[in-house]
Amino acid sequence: MAQLGKGKLNYRCPSCFMRDLDIDMFYNKDTGIYSCIRCQFRGTEEQVLAGNEDVRKKYGAMYERFTKFDFD
Amino acid sequence: MDKFIVNIIHRPEMVPEYSATVTGQGKQEDIGDKALLTESLDIFKTQQRLAHENGLKVTIQMTYAALFNDEAVEIAKHDHEEYGDEIALSLLGLPCEEFREKYKTKDFCIWMFSMEDKKAIVNDVFEKFYEKFGFYPESTGSYYMDADLTNYIKEKYPMVKCAVATCWEEGPKAYHTCNNSWYTLFDGGPWAPWIPSKQNTHAPAANKEEDSGIVAIPHLSRDLIACYDGNGSNFGTHPQNVLRGMIYDTKTWEYPYLYNLIDQYRDLEKYNNGYAYNMMFVGPGWMNKMGRWEQPYELLLKSYTDGCAYYGKLKKEGKLVDMTMSEFADYYREKKGVNAGNYNEPECAPWRDILYGSDKQLFWYCDPYMRACVNMDQGGAIVDLRPYAAKLEWPVGIGTKHVQDASYPFLIQEKYRAGYFTHYAGAGTVRSAKLSYKGEEVDLCLCPTHSHFSEEMIDGKKNRILTLDPVEIQFYDVTVKLQTKEYFEEGSSNIKIERNILEISNPDAEIYLDEYITACYGTTEYPEDMTGITLACEGSDPQTINYEYKCRDAKKMGATAVSAVIPAIQTKVSLTPSAEAEGYIEEGYAFSPMFKLGYKKKIEEKEVFATWLNLEKAN
Repeated sequence: MAQLGKGKLNYRCPSCFMRDLDIDMFYNKDTGIYSCIRCQFRGTEEQVLAGNEDVRKKYGAMYERFTKFDFD
Repeated sequence: MDKFIVNIIHRPEMVPEYSATVTGQGKQEDIGDKALLTESLDIFKTQQRLAHENGLKVTIQMTYAALFNDEAVEIAKHDHEEYGDEIALSLLGLPCEEFREKYKTKDFCIWMFSMEDKKAIVNDVFEKFYEKFGFYPESTGSYYMDADLTNYIKEKYPMVKCAVATCWEEGPKAYHTCNNSWYTLFDGGPWAPWIPSKQNTHAPAANKEEDSGIVAIPHLSRDLIACYDGNGSNFGTHPQNVLRGMIYDTKTWEYPYLYNLIDQYRDLEKYNNGYAYNMMFVGPGWMNKMGRWEQPYELLLKSYTDGCAYYGKLKKEGKLVDMTMSEFADYYREKKGVNAGNYNEPECAPWRDILYGSDKQLFWYCDPYMRACVNMDQGGAIVDLRPYAAKLEWPVGIGTKHVQDASYPFLIQEKYRAGYFTHYAGAGTVRSAKLSYKGEEVDLCLCPTHSHFSEEMIDGKKNRILTLDPVEIQFYDVTVKLQTKEYFEEGSSNIKIERNILEISNPDAEIYLDEYITACYGTTEYPEDMTGITLACEGSDPQTINYEYKCRDAKKMGATAVSAVIPAIQTKVSLTPSAEAEGYIEEGYAFSPMFKLGYKKKIEEKEVFATWLNLEKAN
């Protein structure tokens, strides 16, 4: 197997992102699998993107537009 | 007139941070890569165009590398003439072939160099700037500017009046996020502009003698809840940081959070005499043609376009004033009353969660004597405290005790030293109170509430006051309704916390109030040596404990103060009461390297009991 490289976009590991770690993933062009070199995450692009949506679940108000910032 | 001011800063960086290593993965390093230079300059031109199209003035921070690029110099001169942009000098962006050849190092953070090298680099870049432009810059900056560096610049180039001098809470959390490889350790500073003291950049000057001569601005305006709890680089007025945090809709490429963040900053003018501030500073590495992480170039470009457009829209609506850094420095000194001799006007920031969907609220306070964070979700507990009163001299860089660690030490930091909650043993740092009744005990940290801000003159002194909504503490057969008020008296170096006992369902019940602070000192998650700290119950017949991790305690009815002197950070912290109460001190132990100071008192219905948290320099 040849060495790992970068995919078309520089995806981060969604599992590590959830614990506040920005870790670039590396790509196996033969298998189409992205892998994290810090944790055990392995996944296709589709799985990475699904993981990124999971990341967003903690942002419960990310689609909300606030107009009031006090509690008066 | 109320003013919301924005500083927009661009830097033509010839070898953008990240670009060489991230997008150049798989290639040998080539710091003189011509394609990279061309792309970097194109990004700078794009940023300039977007700001100007939206009618916004820019401060162009020339990097050392850019001073060797004639096109970058010409663009700066042109845009200065055409749009009124300020031409300034950044101490970021040092890496280039010329720098590497001259200084024989890959270091690039000015605060980490030896003092000798700092001076040489400053002389070099300022003189190179003069050679290119025929004048010296009035503004400069880096991610962090240590006091010795600023003092040297001000001595050698007195025309400098403004500098980007810290990035709020960019410390161990940012280090962690970058897989422990990004050494920007400078927690504990102000989040909004300030005048740094000559002794320590983070600590604002208290008077003319301490005035470093510059107005400092933070690198970005950051979310005062999200950055405190998480990676700061996801939550600031830096559109691509918001993308880094994945805080956008992948289908529509919309990011209301960015506008919420700007708008919450705008709202802060209500608490700061009609003044609020924003800073946007996006380095070229964030608009890379190769994209950045999950974001393609088109999204990176859109976000910066939208950021400029929003500030431009606010300007057109008369809700924003764009200034260059040097213009802002003059405005700030006048607005804050510094020109009239008052250095004590604080910066106040009630801040609500605008991202996670909770209704948590913090209050940040900063003046020349302290930076404090009050957490309304924990009943008004103080969860972060930096004793600026000590004006701690803390040299950083090679050849000092702190090569990388430029953070201002804390006494309380709920994320690094726990807060109310610990794992079944020991204690965490917090300033709170407990109520007890017949063996039951309730800490106010478990009483979420909200606060309201007001400003009042009390005994001729200006006070900023937080009035918390009342909370109910329910014991087995008694309920207590209590209201907390917190007073920040301008220039006093103390915080008064008042508990108003509004109702007790059984007025005969014996209920005790325990006002306390649990504290230690440090700059990171890891404990420091507490040996040498002296705890005291002050007054007649004082009692003292010299810290030896022996879990000892002492108490004294009518103690005039309970205190701790911490030689390592030249700080004395104490509590004093408004009425006679039992003062106590507690030493910690190895598994709980803390100390505790407090007052206990039986309380009655309608009673008002106050304690002051006082900070002093202790040599």
